[in-house]
Formats: sequence, C-alpha cells, structure tokens
Amino acid sequence: MFSLFNTLCLWGLTVRINSNFVKAAAAALSIACSGFAHAELNVFACEPEYAALAKELAPNANIYSATTALQDPHQVQARPSLIAKMRQADLVVCAGADLEIGWLPMLQMKSANAKVRSTDQGLFFAADQIDTLDKLASVDRSMGDVHAQGNPHIHFDPNRLLTVANALSAKMSQLHPSEAANYQKALADFSSRWQAAIPRWEEQAKALKGKKVIAYHTSFRYLFNWLGIEQVADLEPKPGLAPTSGHLASLLSRAEQKDILAVVVASYQDERGANWLGEKANLPVVMLPMSVGGNDASQDLFSLYDSAISLLNGVK
Amino acid sequence: MTVLNNRISLVALACAFASPTLFAADSSLTNPAISAVLNGYYQTAERPLAETAEGFGLGETELAMSANIDDMFYGKVTAVVEMHDGETELNLEEAFIQTMAMPAGFSIRGGRFLSDIGYLNNQHLHTDSFTDRPIAYRAFFGGHYFDDGVRLNFVAPTDLYWTIGAEAFKGDSMRAADEHGEREFKNVGVYTFYTKIGGDIGDNSSWQAGLSYLRNENGQVTAHEEGDEHEDEAAEEGHDHSHAASYTGKNTYGADFVYKWAPNGNYKYQNLTLSGEYYRVTDFVPSDLHPEDAPSKDYHQGWYLSSVYQFTPSWSAGVRYGEVDTQELHGDHFHGQKLKESEVSLAWHSSHFSTVRFQYTNQKGTNFDGIEDDNVFTIQYIMSLGAHGAHQF
Repeated sequence: MFSLFNTLCLWGLTVRINSNFVKAAAAALSIACSGFAHAELNVFACEPEYAALAKELAPNANIYSATTALQDPHQVQARPSLIAKMRQADLVVCAGADLEIGWLPMLQMKSANAKVRSTDQGLFFAADQIDTLDKLASVDRSMGDVHAQGNPHIHFDPNRLLTVANALSAKMSQLHPSEAANYQKALADFSSRWQAAIPRWEEQAKALKGKKVIAYHTSFRYLFNWLGIEQVADLEPKPGLAPTSGHLASLLSRAEQKDILAVVVASYQDERGANWLGEKANLPVVMLPMSVGGNDASQDLFSLYDSAISLLNGVK
Repeated sequence: MTVLNNRISLVALACAFASPTLFAADSSLTNPAISAVLNGYYQTAERPLAETAEGFGLGETELAMSANIDDMFYGKVTAVVEMHDGETELNLEEAFIQTMAMPAGFSIRGGRFLSDIGYLNNQHLHTDSFTDRPIAYRAFFGGHYFDDGVRLNFVAPTDLYWTIGAEAFKGDSMRAADEHGEREFKNVGVYTFYTKIGGDIGDNSSWQAGLSYLRNENGQVTAHEEGDEHEDEAAEEGHDHSHAASYTGKNTYGADFVYKWAPNGNYKYQNLTLSGEYYRVTDFVPSDLHPEDAPSKDYHQGWYLSSVYQFTPSWSAGVRYGEVDTQELHGDHFHGQKLKESEVSLAWHSSHFSTVRFQYTNQKGTNFDGIEDDNVFTIQYIMSLGAHGAHQF
C-alpha cells in the first residue's frame, strides 16, 4: 500500500506539467503523497505528555493526543472521535497503572484495531517501564480512587521519563523497523538535551528542597519526590473526591503551623478550594501545568519543566 | 427467561465476587474483572411497562464478569437478579464473546448481548440518569433489547467516527402476542441494521448520531378471532412481563443523537448531556383485518428528549420528556393510546461509584392502562462494587 504510493510519488515528480488537467492531477497526487509518502507511524497518545514525547522521538509521525492538560485524565469520555483515531493508530501510548481504566478498554473494544490491543504489539504503557511510587498491596474503595499499581503521573520525574523514552523508541523501532535508524537518532538527540537539562533544573530548584506544600491530588508526586518537596496535605479528602468544607477546615488548621510554602493545583483541577484555603491561611496558590499545553509557556517537555520550576520558584 | 430459585449459583457468584483478585488491575482469564451493581428504590405509584413497581423494591442487581479469553476473544457474563411478585429471578442479560483481532475494523459478537440499535439500548440500566427507561423503550423493546444472536460490526478508518453493523437475533421477546399458540414463529425473528457517526466540536463538545432499522419477522399481530373476549395485556403475558416488547410490528425505524459538553472537555467538575431518540413501528396490522377495522394510524411511535447537567462532582440534575402514541388491538379493532411522561431527577454522587437519586414523574395517559394524570415520586440508590468497567459515550 505504502510502496504503491511511493511509486506514484516518484512518478509524479517526472510528469511534465503541460495541461491544466495534469496540473490538477499532480496537485491531488502531491496532497496524497504528503499524507502517505513517509508511511509514518500513527500515534495515539492518551495524555499530552506522551504526545510530546512521541514528537521528540518520531518528529515525522502523525501524533494525536486524546486529552489536553486541562482535562482530568481519570475521567475521559470514550467518545466517537477517540474511537475513530484509535481505529487508525499503529501505536497507542498511555501512562498506564490504571489511570485510563475508565475509558481505554472501551476505546480498544469499540475501535476494533487488533494492532493496539496488546503490549506485545502497538500498545505501550509508560508505567510498565519503571517502578511507580506508592504501590499498594491491597486497595479498598473506602480509600478513594487509588491505583494499586502506584501513582501513574510519572512524567514529572526526568529520570523515569528518560527510561520511558528509551523503551518507547525501541517500541517504535519494533513496529516500524525501516525507520529504526531515524528513531535511534532522535532518541540520542533527545537524551543528550534531556540529560543536559536535568542538572540545570536541579540547580534552579535547589532552594525548593525541604519545602512543604498542600496540593490537590497526588498529581505532582514525582515532581515533589525529585525536587525534595514534601506534600504535607491533600485538598482531596480521599483520592478522586472533590474537596469538602470540613476537609478544607482541617487543612486550614494544618496551615496555621506556618510552615507551608504554597497551595498547588494542576491545570485541570478546580481552584476554588485552593483559593479559599489560600485566602484564609494567607498562602499563595500556584497552578502548575499538568502537562504540555497546561499553560502558555509549556510548549514541549522541556518548557513544561522550565515553567513548573519557575512557577514554584516564584512563590518563595 | 429462566426462573431459577437456585441459591447455589447465587452463592457461587457471590464467592467469585469476594475473591481476593478483585482489585488487581489487569483482567485476564485467571483474573477476570468482577463487579456487582446494587440497586434499590421506593416508588409512590405504578408506572406502565416499567421495571420498578409501587413501594419498596430492588431494581436489577447485576453480577458481571469479563476478561480477555485469549489473543482473539473477549468474553463477558452479566447475570441479573430481579424480584417479581415475590419470586427471585436469575436471568442472563449478557453472555457473549467478541472477536478482538479481526482485520480492517471488523468485529463479531455472538451469544446473548444488548443490541446496538439506538443510543441507550447498548448501555446498562445502572448508567442511566433516570430510574426507568423512556416509555418508547419500555413499549417497543421491553426496556432494553438483549437477545441471543450474532453481530457483525465495522468501524471505518476515518477521522469522522463512522460505524455500521448488522445483527440477527432469535427474537423471542419481540414476538407479537399469540393467544392461541397456533402461530408458526420464525426461529431467527429479528434482524437489525444500524449506523452511527460522531466527532468533536472543538475541545468542549462531542456528538454522535445514529440511524437504526429493526426487522421483526414475528412482529405483525394476528387478529383475534370473532367472539374472543379482550384480555388484559398483563394477564396475557402473565409472569413474563418484564422484558418482552409490548407493541411490535414488522418494521421499526429509529433515529438517535447525543451531544455532550464540558468546559475545556474536562468532565470531572461540570458536564452536560443532551440526548434524544425517535422510533416508529409499522406494519403491525393483521393482514386479514377487515378494512373498516383498520386503526386510525398505521404506526406506533415514540420519542424522548433528555438533558442531564452535572453541576458539581457530587450533584447532577436531569429533565426528560417522552411519549408514545400506540394502537392496541382490542378484539377485532384497534384503540389509539397515548402516554406522555415528564420527569425531573436530582442525583447525589458520593463518589464515582455511588448514586442516590430523587425523581419526580408526571404521566398523562389517554386510554393507557387507566392512567390519566399521575404524579410519581421515586427515591433510588445505585452503587457499584468491584471492578469498574469503562463506560460508553
């Protein structure tokens, strides 16, 4: 199929344009070629951070992100547009650790795409590549909406993300061996830039070490773990449940110990509880981008980290 | 519909349910996803053709188990325990296998499953935003149409979602009444065809629209013989009233749509769902009916419009209006009937897994089971435990 298009494209270059009809045909052909000539991977990313990572590792791929940084990835509708996109995907990249349990299985069932059913083939879970934090031996719903497989929001740990990048690049090469050299080149390029950035970020965030915050959910568990920030309380009374007035009152009394740097919420979370607490306890409220696109500054993974650290530094 | 007073199988299901693998993440053969839905209510009056009765009652108590069987197949069993007239019924609502590895967007489902016609039909009752299905569903599909059969489905490789499918079913629950037991029903009674398209409008909105056709070989009514006395519909159908369609015809045409909105497409805090469906059932008039006995309308029709707004993570409110316009055979002639239902519901969700709902329904009837202008209040809980399956759009 793709080789046929390639042949047509080569042929298209040799056509001498001497009539309007041929011009029109050539134009149509060039449109078709731009879509198919590279025979690149169709990548379906569950979250924008994995769309951004796929973009680093396969710049020519057709990449689609199922969610934005303004959407809670726990609660996504298995909507028709996502079924249509997954139907055409060669590779599905998700956080895993049950983050997408409420919608990914339905998309797989409805899209009837055998290529992305199994992690042996075109399905990739980032959490499978690394050790997650906060794994639980047993889970009970009275604990709230927790994940037995650990915290799935792993993309704010630069070292874990680099491990994921290596595995994802290998997966791309497995699915599309003819492009393997290009994927390896892109990975080497990304790795060197990423490894250069890590000590720079750590230097920038040095003053944040040992600071205490109150945050919404455990969305930034890995960021805090990496930078040595301690989340001493959660705006959610239980994971997945919205803040209640009783719970906020208990956070207010906790804040009276005067050791809290800030109240942190993610770009897809409701700010009202945080704002109430911030006002009562005279604490700054920081909204961090949950992912690429979570604020204007976060255009790729590098600027996402830059933005998150500079926003935290800004409240000192 | 098998009526089992079988405690052993209930106990077996309950044991399976309490197994320690319950919360483990990946469902597989040794580790299937197992879940139960608990559903109870109190209702102040009877509603026609409804699952719920007056007073205290249990709705459908579901026990479901599903897993990938191997590389090629997925399987699911949903047992439903219902109480009717003091008897416990254990029914199988789903017991199907589905192919997972067919090429080119094709899939086949076989066994007992919910037909994919319309918008609501393939959804489980416990995901509904109202205590009962719209009257059109109760009248034409017995609440929700599930049956033994096979489905072939195709999803097109296009950015605009487009799926088409065809199903063939046994069709027992869709048979027209046969008082004399003389009719030769066809073994494969029901064929359906459906197509759906859908997509997004920006980041905030998503939509889906569908068309359905249901061919019911056994749906045309046979005329009562001269001198037959009219019998009450409920008496005719006796105990088996719960899932059989009450108004059948040879051809059923349906159209459906759903539109969902959430700010930035973030469904956690606020979201809105608008949906509606229309059905027309034709060719039900007995072929040997005298022309002067023909009904005033040669079709049944029904529709509903529903809107549900979740305004905080814990609260949602809904309004729904639905009606049916049907012809009922009384002896050798038809009576026109009409039922209009206006409903308001308010639901509290303590978490994603539990709902307590208050509902007010006004039902206005014309020749419809003696209903004139009734007000019905219902309070209901629906809670799910165990593995929580992914929801459909």
